[in-house]
This record gives sequence, C-alpha cells and structure tokens, in this order.
Amino acid sequence: MTAVLHAEWIKLRSLRSTYVTMLCAIALGTGLGFLDTTSVAHHWASMSAQDRAAFDPVGDSFTGLVFAQLAFGVLGVLAISTEYGTGMIRTTLAATPRRGTLFTAKALVLGAVALVLGEVFAFGTFLLGQAMLAAGHLDVSLTDPGVLRAVASAGLYLWVVAMVGYGVGALVRHTAGAIAVMFGIIFLAWPAARALESWSYLPDKLVLTNASDVLGQVHALAVKPRLPSLGLAYLDLLLYLVVALGLGAWRTSRDA
Amino acid sequence: MIEAHELTKRYGAAVAVDRLSFQVRPGRVTGFLGPNGAGKSTTMRMILGLDTPTGGRALVGGRLYRSVGFALREVGALLDAGAVHGGLSAGRHLAWLAASNRLPSGRVAEVLGRTGLDGVAGKRIRGFSLGMRQRLGIAAALLGDPPILIFDEPVNGLDPEGIAWIRGLMRALAAEGRTILVSSHLMSEMALTADHLLVIGKGRLLADAGMEEFLRSAGTSTLEDAYLRLTQDAVEYRSTDVNR
Repeated sequence: MTAVLHAEWIKLRSLRSTYVTMLCAIALGTGLGFLDTTSVAHHWASMSAQDRAAFDPVGDSFTGLVFAQLAFGVLGVLAISTEYGTGMIRTTLAATPRRGTLFTAKALVLGAVALVLGEVFAFGTFLLGQAMLAAGHLDVSLTDPGVLRAVASAGLYLWVVAMVGYGVGALVRHTAGAIAVMFGIIFLAWPAARALESWSYLPDKLVLTNASDVLGQVHALAVKPRLPSLGLAYLDLLLYLVVALGLGAWRTSRDA
Repeated sequence: MIEAHELTKRYGAAVAVDRLSFQVRPGRVTGFLGPNGAGKSTTMRMILGLDTPTGGRALVGGRLYRSVGFALREVGALLDAGAVHGGLSAGRHLAWLAASNRLPSGRVAEVLGRTGLDGVAGKRIRGFSLGMRQRLGIAAALLGDPPILIFDEPVNGLDPEGIAWIRGLMRALAAEGRTILVSSHLMSEMALTADHLLVIGKGRLLADAGMEEFLRSAGTSTLEDAYLRLTQDAVEYRSTDVNR
C-alpha cells in the first residue's frame, strides 16, 4: 500500500491540472469572500435592518465557497477520470492489479491533499474576511462560540466535495460527464429541491450545498428555517461520501 | 509461463474469446497471431486482469494476475503505447511506475538508456511520436526486470531501425529464459522473431505450434501464406475486391 501511495503522490503532484484547479479555488473562493466582507464593512451604516440580521461574519467570508467547491470537485474528478480519458488506467492497473488497493491509495493521497488545502483555504479566507470586517468592527474571533467549528467545517466540506468528485469520476470514468454530475450536485440540486418545497422540506435538507450553508455559518439556522440541522448537515456529508465512494469503488472493480 | 484454461469472454450475445486454452513457455518468443477482431487484445487484457473472463481463467506464473502484489516484477506489458498521461514527462511516468512496485529508482535511468530515451527523460509525453511512445511503453515493461513479458503490436509506429531493435530485444529477452508473448500483424517480422506461434480466429485457437512445424503442416514456404490459408475462414472483416 505505501508503494502505491508513493506512486499516486508522484502522479498528483506532477500534473499541471492539480495546480490549476487549486489556484482557481483559492483565487475565486478567497477573492469573492474578500469583496463581500469589504463591501459589508464599508456599507454597514447604510444597510437595512433585514440585511444586518442576515449578516453572518463567518458565512460572508465564505461567499466564494460555492466556486471553490466546484474546483475541489473537479480536482477529485480529475484524480481518476484522466486515467480513463488518457488510457493510463490500463498501465496503472497492470502495475497495481489489486483494484481495492489502487482505489484506496488514490483516495488517501487525494484526501490528504484536499483536506490540507481545504482547511488552509477555510482558515485563510476566514482570517482575510475578518481583517476586512475589522474596519467596521464587525469581525469575530476563532475563539468566539461556534466560529472555530464553522471554519474547520468549511474546510472539511471542501474535502468532502473533492472525495465525492473522486467517487463520481471513478463511477462515470469520463471527465466531462463527471464534472457535469458535480455541477448538478453543487448548482442544480438546490433549485430542484426548492421546486419540491410545497410537498416536503426533506429534499432541501439533503442538498449538499444547503449542508455547507449550515456548516460554514454561525447563525444560519436562525435565518433560513428550511436548512438541515447541524447534526443532519454532518450526516449529509457522510451520506454523500459513502454513496459516492461506494459507487466509485464498485465501478473500479469492473472491467477497465 | 502464461496459461489459459478454457478462457472465455462474452459481451452480451457476442463471443470475443471462446474456450481458449494454451500455454506460453519460457525461453522462446511466442507469436500471437489472428485477424482483426479475433480476440488477441481481449485475451491479453484478461491475462493482465484488466477484463474479467466470463468463463475459464488465465494464470501468470501460476497465479491470477489480480492477486499479484508487485506485478511489474512478475509481468511486463505493453498493451497500448497511448496508455499514458501526456502531461507527465517520460521520467516521471517511469518514476511513479517504479514507486508503485517499490523498484529502485536507478531502474528508471537503466530502462531509459536501454530504450534509447535518455535524451528525452524530462520531456512531456504529449510531444512524443508514436515510435517514442512505443519505446516508453517497452521501457515501462522492462522496468521490473520481469520473467514474463507481453507485447501487443510493439513495432507499430517504429522506424526500420526501431523494428530491428525490438526484434533483437525480444530474442535477447527470450534467450535469458524469459517468457515472451508478442502479437503482430506483420508476418514477415514475425517470421524473423518468433519461435512458436499461437494463431486464433473468431476467439478460437487455430494453431499452437513451433514455427517450422507450422510452415510444414501448411505446406507453404512463407509464414504469410501459411497464416492466410489457416485464417481464411476466420476473417471477420474483409474488403470485397480481394482477389486471391
């Protein structure tokens, strides 16, 4: 296993796409949070009472999370779909015929990278956002109630999206198709669930991005009653992780 | 040694490989011949555990390939020279392969030298010609110094110098006591390289014989004539204006 981990690490760090997706995540994700918090800090005096009530010092730092998560999803997809797209999977499987070992090693290497980058992104974006909010004395500290949990959870969430991307990439075996699925999960599931609200709030509560809203904010629940509870939001992450990795592992065991 | 026992692969109603049994023995070059669609590549993929047989089994060194730990030390394979990521350099490609089987990193430089690629080790594979990719695929197959080697159409895209080099390489590897299975459509080349022949058509074994015996039983002087005679009923794709 350690040998395969080493091999997968060489692959991941040798590919330009790894750096491009992560630069996109950081530029878009951190950049939008920076703009949002700067704007709030400067316009607080003229904001309506409603807008002030909706303001979340942590959540507003993570305005760009929606873009960052797509980049993390793409990172996960590419970790395996390019092997099928280029045909390199046949070389990989000839060198590592045990499918379970390969799937696990890839997941561990990608997972370690995505978790580190996700947390670096979360804490970096949070700290930058708070520095901007400090101009309007609206900033919070990591030691305030719920803040450390929210920031760490935003990083954890990015890790989950990368792993879901990996599972979907292994299942679909096609870069464009897998990215389309990730786009659906991240951007289209939300309006779809909204459309079903007259029947049930359950779809809303199972949407991955709604879980991220709850996890990455300090007082999201008070503002949006349709969102899952904090416990259910963590359960959502687990659910997506298990389903995506399970399907990916199953498909990886099939003919290559 | 490579063994196939009643090896079968079906895709729905279509039978790609039909109860194929053979042994590929060490110390000689075994040519694997058959028309397009005969099942050669599917057989090789099943030997390497890439495809799961519908029936029967294929063993390498007495074991199922999918159960082998450091597979590159047991079997070296070139199935498709395109099976690489173009964004990697040749050296990095071989480096991850070596790492995956815990081979000493010095092996990378050795096989690059042996395949004449030492000058392009740092270049991205994307810019390689087909012939260079074939050499890289052969370098990858040699990486683990394996006792069994499998090559699917290795001379594809190589220049005459490269073809002669491959021929010499195969002969040398067999002389070292290794098991060599090589598929090709180039009969004149195969006549110079192979000691033993496996011929399949429509997924079935048509011949398993030494080169001389094969020619003698066909009653022809060239391998091409013997091959065409043997496979004339097994060709699935044929142009209509062939006059023979």
